[in-house]
Amino acid sequence: MWEFAARGRDLVQRRRARTAFLAGMGRGLAGALLFALPMLMTMEMWQLGFHIDREKLLLLLVINLPLLLILSHHIGFEETFGWREDLRDAIVAYGIGIAASGLILALFGVLKMEMPMSELLGKIAVQAVPASIGAMLGRSQLTRDEDEECENPELRKRPATYFGELFLMAVGALFLSLNVAPTEEMILLSYKMTAWHALTAIALSIALMHGFVYAVSFEGGHELSPETPWWHALIRFTLPGYVIALSISLFCLWIFEQVDGTALTPLVFAVIVLAFPAAIGAAAARLIL
Amino acid sequence: MSPSHRPRHTEADDPHWMEWLTGLVSAALIATLIGYVGWNALTEQMEPPKFAIEATGMERMTGGYRITFDIENRANSTAAAVVVRGELLRGEESVETVDVTFDYVPGESQSSGAILFTTDPGSAQLTLRAIGYTDP
Repeated sequence: MWEFAARGRDLVQRRRARTAFLAGMGRGLAGALLFALPMLMTMEMWQLGFHIDREKLLLLLVINLPLLLILSHHIGFEETFGWREDLRDAIVAYGIGIAASGLILALFGVLKMEMPMSELLGKIAVQAVPASIGAMLGRSQLTRDEDEECENPELRKRPATYFGELFLMAVGALFLSLNVAPTEEMILLSYKMTAWHALTAIALSIALMHGFVYAVSFEGGHELSPETPWWHALIRFTLPGYVIALSISLFCLWIFEQVDGTALTPLVFAVIVLAFPAAIGAAAARLIL
Repeated sequence: MSPSHRPRHTEADDPHWMEWLTGLVSAALIATLIGYVGWNALTEQMEPPKFAIEATGMERMTGGYRITFDIENRANSTAAAVVVRGELLRGEESVETVDVTFDYVPGESQSSGAILFTTDPGSAQLTLRAIGYTDP
């Protein structure tokens, strides 16, 4: 009798664990699609699959792992207790990213059986990076707090450290800039703009970043105590955030081979163009993540 | 999503000196960027694209010859849809003409490409020149 009840409890627990696991995978997949679909449907990303330098591709794939790891640590989809679990989550997210990219590219007929292996792998690998970031974000952001009792919403919100905050800005910048960085439009826009346009773009990027987080009263926004002057937050958060947006933009343009053989001035303009969406992404990340 | 009513976050009043250092370094970088672009804005006269084309190599390939070349735009404005024409001349007579189009040749930058001939360029005189472009 006792044994029967215990077995029943055990069964319920296992079923619950299985449901939770499948739900987690589902969220990861949803996040991957949400994040990566625009890129999966961008022609330049397919072309990158075969013409990207293999060294750059390797670098991108390797950098992605610590990125996922830190991401899991900061906003992981469940309360993690150590780097081992973060590593597990990072690898699962990476796996979901690779699987989702392969499936969607095959669905659209971008991947074909008769393609050489290096092209197939290249096309999936380029997409797997944004998709895995999406999977990681999806598993954390699409989680409803009440549905997993093992999760403790109080515990899950780690107190945001300064560099943690900067890291989140980098993720947000990556989110928006990855979407547009591989397209020809980034380069074309930088050719169309004059130096005056570029100056205005810098000013607007910084103003919007600051405004989104401090002035406009979004939920999750930040505020200063009344006695702190407004420019404190500008210097401590917004300006470093914009530098992060610029760096992420430069990195994306370089990885996607948009700036090879370009002189300094066109390069600077292209970075400023891409830093605009990156800045918006960085500001949004501070509100959402 | 995180809890539907997130408390607004108040920044610390007495931040660590690292925060100020990061902030000041960032401010310096951004000031440099603005200075560079501003200097560009004030001093730069846009000049129409000026191309310099130089053949960099020739090799035999199946069914023809490949001439590789660099095209440099020495002006500061960008040219789009730049058509480069390679022509082989024997005396006054044109033996073969081949065109190739560059999507962009950015200002003060260099791109490279190749032209494929069927005639041996060694037996004739080669000219390479840009014959047109559009403004991006």
